[in-house]
Amino acid sequence: MVTVSNDTQFVHLAWHRSEKELAGVQFSMGADPTGKLGRMFGVYDDGSGLTLRGTFIINPQGQLMNSEVNFYNLGRNIDELMRKFKANLYLSKKTNEGCPSKWKDEGDATLTPGPEMVGRVHEALEAQKKTPAKV
Amino acid sequence: MDAPLSPLGVGSHVPDFEINTYEPKTKGFGKFNLAAQKAGGRWSILFFYPADFTFV
Repeated sequence: MVTVSNDTQFVHLAWHRSEKELAGVQFSMGADPTGKLGRMFGVYDDGSGLTLRGTFIINPQGQLMNSEVNFYNLGRNIDELMRKFKANLYLSKKTNEGCPSKWKDEGDATLTPGPEMVGRVHEALEAQKKTPAKV
Repeated sequence: MDAPLSPLGVGSHVPDFEINTYEPKTKGFGKFNLAAQKAGGRWSILFFYPADFTFV
C-alpha cells in the first residue's frame, strides 16, 4: 500500500511529523510532483494541479484489478477497499469462482458460474447459507 | 516517456514505474517500484489523495 499525492517526499515528511492524526499511519507516502503517475491512472486534475481520490489495486502480475475514483469532497470507505482486496486475493486462488456483492471474507458464499446457475443465483446463494462453503 | 493519454482500464497491464517515498516506519526516504513489487510476488494498492495538509 502506498499513498500518493503531488507533494514531494519532503512535504510528506513535514506533514507526517506535524499532523498528530497521522501518527498511526505507517504506509509509504509516494511523491508524484509532476502528476505523471496520476495522469497514467486518470486522476490528475490539470485545472487544479491536484489529484482526485483514486484507489487502484494491482496484482503481482502487474494487472489493474480494481479502480475507484471519487471527487474531492467524498472520502473513501476503507472497509470496502479491504473487502475488494481480500476478494482479489481469494479469487486469485479460486479462479473459477466469483465473489458476490455481499462477500466479505473467506468462508462467505461465492458463486461458480455455470449453466445450472443461469436464472438461479438466488437458489445458489440460499443453498450455501444452509451448507457453508468449505474453505 | 510521456504517460498514455487515456487512463488505464481495469484488466489492463500497468506499465512499470518508480516514485520517491517518505517511509513513516523508518522516518527516512525510499522508493516504491512496481517492478520490485511484481518480482516479490506482492500486490500493490495505490491510494491517491488531493494534497498534504488537507483531510484524506
